[in-house]
Amino acid sequence: MVKLRAKCILVGDPAVGKSALSQMFRSDGAHFQKNYSMTAGVELVVKSVNIPDSIDSVELFIFDSAGKETFTESCEKLWGQPSVLCLVFDVSSEVSFRSCGRWLERVRAHCQGLQVPGVLVGNKSDLSSRREVETAVAQEWAQSQGLEYHETSAKEMENCEAPFLSLAQAFYALYQGQLQTIQALA
Amino acid sequence: MIDTALSSSGTQVVLAASSDENYPPENIIDGNTEMFWISTGMFPQEFILRFSNTVKITLITIHCYNVKNLKIEKSTSNDATDFQNIAEKEFEHTDGHLQTNDFSLNGTSATHLRFIITSGYDHFVSVHKVTVEGVN
Repeated sequence: MVKLRAKCILVGDPAVGKSALSQMFRSDGAHFQKNYSMTAGVELVVKSVNIPDSIDSVELFIFDSAGKETFTESCEKLWGQPSVLCLVFDVSSEVSFRSCGRWLERVRAHCQGLQVPGVLVGNKSDLSSRREVETAVAQEWAQSQGLEYHETSAKEMENCEAPFLSLAQAFYALYQGQLQTIQALA
Repeated sequence: MIDTALSSSGTQVVLAASSDENYPPENIIDGNTEMFWISTGMFPQEFILRFSNTVKITLITIHCYNVKNLKIEKSTSNDATDFQNIAEKEFEHTDGHLQTNDFSLNGTSATHLRFIITSGYDHFVSVHKVTVEGVN
């Protein structure tokens, strides 16, 4: 049995629902913040994820980072050597989707050449009448960037675990791969 | 000269920041490079060796993989406190074989050695063997 630890950087434009998503994940859907409260620094959320069909788990240290530019710079100081990346936008905001490239670049600058698995999350999927970003468009961009795409609704408790589970599995796969490499050396 | 960092000479690993039960930290001091300890994610990572007596150290050799920055500290107390920095190095990346690095020291005495890996060339780093040459 092994318990891996992964540093997960959670970024995206302000008010796309990063904190709502991480809190829903942390509380297993028990805690949806109805009132918006802006994250001014980094909020750390820690949760273990079991890897299916194994006795192993990955403990995610989620660095829920402020989306507001004024605060982002100080958040960046805590992004060193990330393990995985969760990039969030709001499907009812084209602007928040267009910012994703910039966010990705910013986090990658801290990766020091490491392979960092990532997911792109389109949140607020419940706002179907106000949708500005089509699933296919987001999916295509995610794929071009090597990210796995998920749609969630933190409000409706829809799919909130999936992006984090997928990150945990990707990190676990890296571990297995590295173990094989090292065993071959020794 | 004797190798004092062997479990057979009474040395113990008293702390390791990571553990996969299949790759326990005791593998570091079993005297061979085949068995290893692997970190399980995030940096820094560290482990502490405790000698059975105070040792005057002349040379530390570490066999590892994917380690980038390593700091070594020593303690002369009996309860692993008051660590002082004694060496620090950036290792070169190797591909397909282990990294082997030496630290020459001029007989500095220690009861404990603390190895702190502050960064790596991968998310996961392994340590295969540590040897400590010195006199009791």
